[in-house]
Amino acid sequence: MNLKTICTFMVGAALMILMAAFIYTPAFAIDLPDTKVQKMTKAQKAAKEKSSDPLLCLDCHRARNIHTNEGVIASQAFCFDCHKDEELSKKKGSNIPHEITQEAFHANQPNHRFIACINCHKDVARSPHKTTLGAQCLDCHTRHSESPGNDPHSRVSCQACHFQSEFVELDPKDFKVKLSRNDYDGLPISLSDHILADVEDEQTCQKCHFKKNPVGAPAAVLPSKSLMCIMCHTSPFSMGHPLFGLASLIFIGGIFIMIAFWFKGSVKGEERSLHRKISLSSESVYKTIFSKQIFSLIKIFILDILLQRRILQESVSRWSMHSLIFTAILLRLGLSLFTAIGFYFNPESSLLTVLIDKNHGFTAFANDLLGLFILLGVIWAVVKRFIVKPDHVVSEYQDNITLILIGSLVVLGFLLEGARILVTQIPCEMAIYSFAGYMVSKVFSFFPLDWAQVYPLMWYGHGLVAAVFIAWLPFGKMRHMFNTPLTYFIEAVDGVKNEKRV
Amino acid sequence: MEANKTPQTFQRFHVLHRILHMVIILNFTFLAISGFLLHFSGFEWARFVVSLMGGAGAAGWLHRFCAVFLYIGILIHVFWLFYYKIVLKQNFCGPDSIVPGKKDITDMYQNLRYIFNKGASPLFDRFSYLQKLDYWGELLGMQSMGITGLILWFPEFFAGIIPGFFINIAGYFHFYEAVLAVMYIGVVHMSDTHLAPDIFPMEKSIFTGKIEKERFMEEHPGEWKRQEMINDETAQQL
Repeated sequence: MNLKTICTFMVGAALMILMAAFIYTPAFAIDLPDTKVQKMTKAQKAAKEKSSDPLLCLDCHRARNIHTNEGVIASQAFCFDCHKDEELSKKKGSNIPHEITQEAFHANQPNHRFIACINCHKDVARSPHKTTLGAQCLDCHTRHSESPGNDPHSRVSCQACHFQSEFVELDPKDFKVKLSRNDYDGLPISLSDHILADVEDEQTCQKCHFKKNPVGAPAAVLPSKSLMCIMCHTSPFSMGHPLFGLASLIFIGGIFIMIAFWFKGSVKGEERSLHRKISLSSESVYKTIFSKQIFSLIKIFILDILLQRRILQESVSRWSMHSLIFTAILLRLGLSLFTAIGFYFNPESSLLTVLIDKNHGFTAFANDLLGLFILLGVIWAVVKRFIVKPDHVVSEYQDNITLILIGSLVVLGFLLEGARILVTQIPCEMAIYSFAGYMVSKVFSFFPLDWAQVYPLMWYGHGLVAAVFIAWLPFGKMRHMFNTPLTYFIEAVDGVKNEKRV
Repeated sequence: MEANKTPQTFQRFHVLHRILHMVIILNFTFLAISGFLLHFSGFEWARFVVSLMGGAGAAGWLHRFCAVFLYIGILIHVFWLFYYKIVLKQNFCGPDSIVPGKKDITDMYQNLRYIFNKGASPLFDRFSYLQKLDYWGELLGMQSMGITGLILWFPEFFAGIIPGFFINIAGYFHFYEAVLAVMYIGVVHMSDTHLAPDIFPMEKSIFTGKIEKERFMEEHPGEWKRQEMINDETAQQL
């Protein structure tokens, strides 16, 4: 090994070290941000020492990224930087604490850990640093109401129920029930702890539903509507109160008794075996459905059942009376079915939000008009039966029960609506669309009763009559709504056949 | 009687079973389509078709919707077995039963001999061993599809009961069993029902509920014989 070789090695090594030193860039890069960080910490220290010191531009104007979790944490840290300060509120001259720490937020809102503050508090990230909108839940969450397809709470903001604060208020600007920033004595309270309420607990409901509440809620927590209310109202796919459950059970039992009665007769000569009877009749139904006869059945369904052609052929006045009741109920059923199913699939649709909101002009008007039609039909029938008394009308007690049930159901419905408009303090220009209910509410307002307490009683009255009506459907006169169409169909398929005796 | 132009037919399936079969066909098809589209979401064609269906959310919804109805169909089949035993007072080991018995094993052996031209065709009863295999394969397969599907549907709930990696296992089971089910239906069931030379192009008895006399005699000779005996007895009594 000669000197030349050793020199070459040494020069090479020196070159390698030099190049490695150049490649290791942080040595150069650290320089700039380092001074920046120092400046910022100095500024923050200064801000802490003297709160009156103005903030520097770069204290707020940082690069932000809310599209990744890392960015969310940075964005949250930006807010917590100031809001961790207990003295914060005093700076502004008010006593409401605005402090919130990351730990407290994560503990109270575990599902929103990775959501940037400004994702919900949309309008605070600008100057002046002030919110008018509040947190926007509906940007991510869909509207659910009490349960889908049933919306007495469409004018209640999300936070009013879902946040743990006892105090609510009715905002006179948009007539929404919101969390109040003051307690009931008018003293400002803090809402910055972000604790969610347990909405399953009835106590949460009682924060509005108590006597003499300021937001116009009924004085008692009422059960949700039941699926059986869908005949006239948009309702959720649930049972609601046990009363409705019982009524539905009786209804289903009655349907079974009715079908069992149909199968008491002989089916195509088969007298005894129920299994044979069912298989023979289902066989012929199957055969009819998959044949050309189905078209004539569809025609009968539209003309004779939906449009009541056969009653029209008998007498125009009878048809008008019957159609007033039948078509109005059918239209309400169609509307509420459409709303309930549509809302299930697309809760964000603006059309369905309109249909669910019973204070909206169209929904209120349609429901009132159709309800009035039913009432008119019932009154017509009562007049015919008890005052005019033509010879061919024989009043049986079953007919009278039917008329009483439907009539009281509709009357109670209108009274209920009037009480609701009165209690919830809906403004005139909104309530005028439910014209009948608005008139009732005007009449009610003359009576100095505590309508918030009367309303639940009326609600239970309406619900009870509805439950009795549904339970009674397969037993009394209303059985004709199953039997008559079936008779029409069977007649159409093969004259008067002995397959099913109705 | 034989002079009639339309061939004499016999009742083979109840309306209930025909409707159930249609329900299961529809739901199975949609399940297979939506499920495979979701599984192969990395491919451009799958994404295109899913976008036609209204996005991955809609496809997932359709998948769950059809799964619920398919499983209701399966449940009704199970209830039918109870009905068959309790109300109709039939025997599970009897010749009309769908439950596999000793005869099916001998039938299979004899059928293999017949295929290799070493003996006569077995006298199948109401359901041949192949049909029973189809039926029970689907009925039992749907149970495990249902369980793994539920685990995938409600992972938060099941993670509280079973270890978390079971959810991944359930995912694998769900996919590979779906492949198995689709292959079985598409290859075995389709060919052994529709592609037999004297049935081709289509086996209609599950849709019409009827079977022609000749096919009845040929394919279910055991049942035909019993039917004839019953007819003879009633004729003698009359």
